Amino acid sequence: MYLALNDIGRGLNKLKVMKDKSRKEAIDYLINVGKAPKDPTERVDQFLDYVTIMPVDIDPQGLVGKIDHVVSTNNDRVRAEVATLIAPNNPVTLSISENLLEVASSLNIIHKIVRHYYLLGKKTNSYFTLIQLQMIMPMIIQEADALLNAIDSFKVGEPVGDGIGPVVVSRFMAGKEKRIVAKDTVMATTEYKGRTLYVLKAEGPMGYVGQPGIGIKKIVEEMGVKPSAIIMIDAALKLEGEKTGEIAEGVGAAIGGIGVEKFQIEEVATNQKVPLYAILVKQSILEAITVMRKEIAEASDKVVQVLNRVIEEKTKEGDSVVVAGIGNTLGVAQ
Amino acid sequence: MMSSVPTADKKSKLLVYTIEECPVCGQKTKRAFQVGDFVTKESVPCTKCGNPTRVSLVYAEASKISG
Repeated sequence: MYLALNDIGRGLNKLKVMKDKSRKEAIDYLINVGKAPKDPTERVDQFLDYVTIMPVDIDPQGLVGKIDHVVSTNNDRVRAEVATLIAPNNPVTLSISENLLEVASSLNIIHKIVRHYYLLGKKTNSYFTLIQLQMIMPMIIQEADALLNAIDSFKVGEPVGDGIGPVVVSRFMAGKEKRIVAKDTVMATTEYKGRTLYVLKAEGPMGYVGQPGIGIKKIVEEMGVKPSAIIMIDAALKLEGEKTGEIAEGVGAAIGGIGVEKFQIEEVATNQKVPLYAILVKQSILEAITVMRKEIAEASDKVVQVLNRVIEEKTKEGDSVVVAGIGNTLGVAQ
Repeated sequence: MMSSVPTADKKSKLLVYTIEECPVCGQKTKRAFQVGDFVTKESVPCTKCGNPTRVSLVYAEASKISG
């Protein structure tokens, strides 16, 4: 038991250092780059302890809509609050500030939860609570380390591994007329071998993920487009042993997050009987949230080849195809 | 069995590069990333044909540190 306490204690100290560093980095960024008109420290501390209460799920009917409402309220609140912390500035600085505060908030929560179980196990002399915590501690530290490393990329606006979907679709959008189809989400129309492509991604180079679910729904239901396929390109977490930058193909909605966007896309695809295809680029959690590695960036050429093949095989001339680049679009414009 | 806390690989350092591509002649140039670079950003004229280049990729490569 002493060994377990000692081991967890060391990990907990590491988490505290990480948490404090991320908080300091966020405050420094708000002051130095965001040119905060007044000291943002107190507001940042309040922000880190802000909670989002998920809706009750004992009656699951309409639950996704409720989650969407709560999450959207939270996102709007975060952006509005961050905007008051910095001088009126460019949207990239605002989005980076949001990302940095989210990292600091995540590390704060991780530290609090680990500390809770550590102290609870110690107080109740519960060997099994402590041993379970000790067993998962390396994975927790690994995830926290990935979050801490993400700060360096976010601060300077470098594209992250998760941005591979936006990188691929940006090639189809460059120089084309863009329109907003959902919050922080842009779409352009282009052609490929007689097919009309409706290409969408989050609006870059800000660090946004956009609302591709609402975007696709709008294209299909409001703009009256009848796509023959919806193709989604996203980063996917690799399993240990898999190579970074490996490409996997599949069917289904390739999108992470809390599930709201995935639900919206699946619903519109099911209602309209549109097949959903996925192209995934494998990477680790660290690679997904830190600066894009060469292996991932260079996979973009292969992804374009796969995308072209899927379009040619699954659709015919005259068809419409929706292509969505999913992920954080920091450092990737369109 | 005691768990061990993973440590970062200190033997390699990531260097970030920006790749500029000429949309006309296809020439690619690689330079160090500068703050403000982003994918699709219009960049310097192409050294081969003079047309404006675009940033096509930004990525990091590991550089091995000896010792």
